[in-house]
Amino acid sequence: MKHLTLDIILNSLREVGSTVLYIFLSTVLIELLVYFLWEPLSALSRSIDRALSFLGRTVRYAISAILIVAAVVFVVAMVSPGQEPSSWAGYWPLPGVAFLIGLFVSPAAVTIFSPRLRLPYMLLVPAVVGLSLLVVYPLLWELNVSFTNLSPKHFRSPDFVGLQNYIEVFTRPILKQITFTPLFLRTILWTAVNVVFHVSGGMGLALLLNRKMKLRGLYRALLVFPWAIPQPVACLAWRGEFHFEYGFANIVLQRLGLAPIQWMSNPTWNFIAMCITNIWLGIPFMMVIILGGLQSIAGEFYEAAEIDGASGWQQFTNITLPLLRPILTPAIILGTVWTFTNFNVPFFINQNELETSDTLVTALFRSAFQYFNLGDAAAFAFVNFALLLIFSIIYIRVTGGLKGATE
Amino acid sequence: MKKHALTLISALVVLGLLLTACGPAATPERVVETVVVTEKEEVEVTREVEVVKEVEAEAKPVKIVLWTKEGEADGGLQFVQSLADAYTAINPHVTFEVINKDVETLREDFLTAGLAGSLPDLLWTVNDHAGPFTDAELILPVDDLFDLSLYVDSALAAAELGGQTWGVPIANGNHLMLLYNKDLVETPPTNTDELIEMGQELTTGDQYGLVFNQTEPFWLVPWLGGFGGKVFAEDGKTPTLNTPEMVNTLQFLYDIKYTTPIIPPESDYDGADTLFKEGKAAMIINGDWSLGAYKDALGDKLGVARIPEVVGGEWPHPYTSGVYFMLPVSLEEDEAKMEAVVDFIEFVTGANNQALMVAKLNRLPALKAALDDPLIANDPILKGSADQMVVGTPMPTVSEMRCNWDAMKPEMQAVLADTKSPEDAAAAMQEAAEACIAKLE
Amino acid sequence: MTITASAPRKRSAWQHFFNSSGRGDSPFKRLLIHLALIVSCAIAVYPVLRIVSVSLRPGDRLLSTSLAIVPEDATLQAYKTVLWEKEFLVWIWNSALITTATASIGLILAATSAYAFSRWRFPGRKPGLIFLLSTQMLPAPMMMVPIYILATKLGLTHTYRGLVLAYSVTTVPFSIWMLKGYYDTIPRELEDAALIDGASPLVSFWRIILPLSTPALAIVFLFNFMSAWSDYLFARVMIASETRLWTWVLGVRDFQSQFQTQWGFFSAASVMVAIPVMALFLYSSKWLISGLTLGSVKG
Repeated sequence: MKHLTLDIILNSLREVGSTVLYIFLSTVLIELLVYFLWEPLSALSRSIDRALSFLGRTVRYAISAILIVAAVVFVVAMVSPGQEPSSWAGYWPLPGVAFLIGLFVSPAAVTIFSPRLRLPYMLLVPAVVGLSLLVVYPLLWELNVSFTNLSPKHFRSPDFVGLQNYIEVFTRPILKQITFTPLFLRTILWTAVNVVFHVSGGMGLALLLNRKMKLRGLYRALLVFPWAIPQPVACLAWRGEFHFEYGFANIVLQRLGLAPIQWMSNPTWNFIAMCITNIWLGIPFMMVIILGGLQSIAGEFYEAAEIDGASGWQQFTNITLPLLRPILTPAIILGTVWTFTNFNVPFFINQNELETSDTLVTALFRSAFQYFNLGDAAAFAFVNFALLLIFSIIYIRVTGGLKGATE
Repeated sequence: MKKHALTLISALVVLGLLLTACGPAATPERVVETVVVTEKEEVEVTREVEVVKEVEAEAKPVKIVLWTKEGEADGGLQFVQSLADAYTAINPHVTFEVINKDVETLREDFLTAGLAGSLPDLLWTVNDHAGPFTDAELILPVDDLFDLSLYVDSALAAAELGGQTWGVPIANGNHLMLLYNKDLVETPPTNTDELIEMGQELTTGDQYGLVFNQTEPFWLVPWLGGFGGKVFAEDGKTPTLNTPEMVNTLQFLYDIKYTTPIIPPESDYDGADTLFKEGKAAMIINGDWSLGAYKDALGDKLGVARIPEVVGGEWPHPYTSGVYFMLPVSLEEDEAKMEAVVDFIEFVTGANNQALMVAKLNRLPALKAALDDPLIANDPILKGSADQMVVGTPMPTVSEMRCNWDAMKPEMQAVLADTKSPEDAAAAMQEAAEACIAKLE
Repeated sequence: MTITASAPRKRSAWQHFFNSSGRGDSPFKRLLIHLALIVSCAIAVYPVLRIVSVSLRPGDRLLSTSLAIVPEDATLQAYKTVLWEKEFLVWIWNSALITTATASIGLILAATSAYAFSRWRFPGRKPGLIFLLSTQMLPAPMMMVPIYILATKLGLTHTYRGLVLAYSVTTVPFSIWMLKGYYDTIPRELEDAALIDGASPLVSFWRIILPLSTPALAIVFLFNFMSAWSDYLFARVMIASETRLWTWVLGVRDFQSQFQTQWGFFSAASVMVAIPVMALFLYSSKWLISGLTLGSVKG
């Protein structure tokens, strides 16, 4: 039983403090490294460009592409699942070398290493390094695993099975009966319903709050409750509310003279219960983001519009929405992605593990961890990933969302 | 910018060095033991030296990381910690880090740790973990390390796979039984007809005759046994869920909810638990882990009996298992740890600590000798629990069992929600289990 | 722009709603707005109050038919036990320390990177943004296994270091997207003016852009704080075996076991955990007012 003593406080402060300092230092060091190396690299790229100019651009792009793709494939193969180290691991410098050669051979190198781009790349490199470790490595690991049959029965040295896992994602039932397409459609419905309510609810509340009024701070603090409460606790609270006997929902229904609903066993009502909970959870986030965006719209726009005789709705569609777009677009995309991959709400509200209430992610989780079929689960995760990526790209294209308001 | 940057960086570097330098040295404390060697004749001197060597070897500190599924709610974790502390008091060079992980988490984390090569040193867990852990070749068989004849047969059977035993039993049971409130029920029902009759009399308004967790198939299997069914065929791997016995079981569950209602319309574990604690349920089917809490809530009014016999069938066979020590393969590489672990296991499953466990946790011991202890015969609750266990059946520990659980769960709920007929549900169960097992390959 | 002289117009309710300046609202409209907000607040807060009532109930009774917030036999026993007999204070301290460190680091990393995305066009910009977005698309539970393996190989498990690193980096993608969006709304003219005056790009970033984007920075800090504060997966993977490092999430999970949960402790701990977050939100609300509306932008 360790109580909070001064000793513990000091030790932990020391450890965390030194970590923060190291991270900060390494960031600065990396940035300085890039800064000072830039000119030599730039000169190098120009001289290589001149030396290789006899080859012609297409040839050089081709060589570069081959080398870089080969490097990536090599790294994926090197990352070994199972317990035995991969036989490719001994040659680890190779992909790095191949990548560098590919980079400098390509005609694009001169554009990349141009002197005016020193600053942005310098600012980006630390984040890239960090993300490579924590995001790229797991991604490559998962990719590798998705081509194997890693599971308890094939644990130490799983076999390479090619695309078999991917094919099975679409043909075999994920868990017991349900197959991919209905699960996917249901997840889309879940996402659509939630995002629509999140954005409209958040927008409504933000508009209400975006004015000078008494108690504004208090309202904002209270409305942010659902976001401030940790998700598992909130899910627990709502699960209690949907309990047949003791839950708030049924008690109110009964007092109104209606029949109580079997929230936990009935598929339709369980889905609705999940949606209600997630909507309650997600509105404050949207509200805060939109409110921040509203505040950055100068009042003069509205004054000018009023003088011109524009109605409230016109002001909204012609001033508010466009100016909010650079903030709203990423918020909506992220909100969609998060809702799509939301695990806590469907998992906790669906305690009875109704297959009808599963979304792609919860089905994936169950299949992965209840049986530890990591090969299957990895393939499933990537299919999921590909779908979301396609959606995001389409959304950005359609709304032109990457354009800022000042362009 | 360069000037400022350089000064800033040098300042930070200095600060960083200061912070690390001021940290406490992480060197472990070395216990210096001085052994006085007196001069003796040659023979005795050699013996003396041997003794010295032994002492030195024993003094090498060993730290054992123990993962246990015991939680705080029923006092289990505190008990494990007290055992560890007691052992350390006797053998100061062995220390423990006791980590509680709930059953699912323990399984996932152990497999993940296996992939990363960082296994803990000892597991205190449930029997059905043996299936996946032996598939992944992460635990050791215990037949050669311990004298298994000291333990209760059914406990050993529940940890047996492929002719070898994979866990040392600590407690026996984890089984469901019929618990009743003596204020509402004078003598417990002995068969299902009596159960229904009494139940109907007692089910009035906001009171129910019987409650249990209607969402988990763990509560279904005793009845299945009562109707003469099993989830696996003789080979222990092929699911047999689409059988007339299963249909009868599902029909029975349907009946006690709709035809002759004695159970609440919707009830999960917490719901049933709350109703019984509040005195709004006359009888509950729950397991030996809940005995402690119910003793506190109901005191002398708590009665324990067997789940009533199925008319035209048998006594229901709830699954028995218990908790086991399992040894990760990483122990093979560290002799000192292996020794300490084996010694600790024998300490915990020795007669003294088994009796202690019975008293503190209300669980039945796995040591044969401890079963004869009068403590059990004299306590009506423990006696009832032992009585139920006699007709229990060891829970299957193969990995395929998980498929069965997952297959039964939604179908059982569908029947209870009146959205499927028992026949359809049984057929669906079988299909799902077969699909799941095919995927395991 | 033509200026038409006209009498003050009667505003409809919709105009009030969409007109964000808030002037000229009649008292009645104000009352309606207040009412709407009060109802929304009630909906937002009620389920949480029910958790409070569970924490005040003696015995581990999660459910009850009474709708009262404060039960008749209310007791503070659960709070006392959790605070003094469990290691709750250690957990909260760990969480607070780790979370503050991560939110700060993440903010610093992201603020500079987002600036690069916002103000320059460089090869790899669009793919980079898409990549950042796509990092949100891989379900977190799946990433736990490889991250654990990596952390074990690097020796980062069972230390504060590993967790702080993991949290800092994983919040970066969202932070970059959000900050880039806000930076995009700040007109370039401001920095151009500074450049003409002889300031380097980084100085103008520090002196001009950052102060103007305080609402964005505050939101990002809050969000990073929230993710790290309530995270379970990373904590479980990285530090679960060292009880001295436990965050409150791991500690509170300890109150649950396979079939039983100590609801009293669980809810008392949950209530106490929400308090620092609420305090943070309240405190940060003054930062959520943008510098732009202070009139620095004149067209």
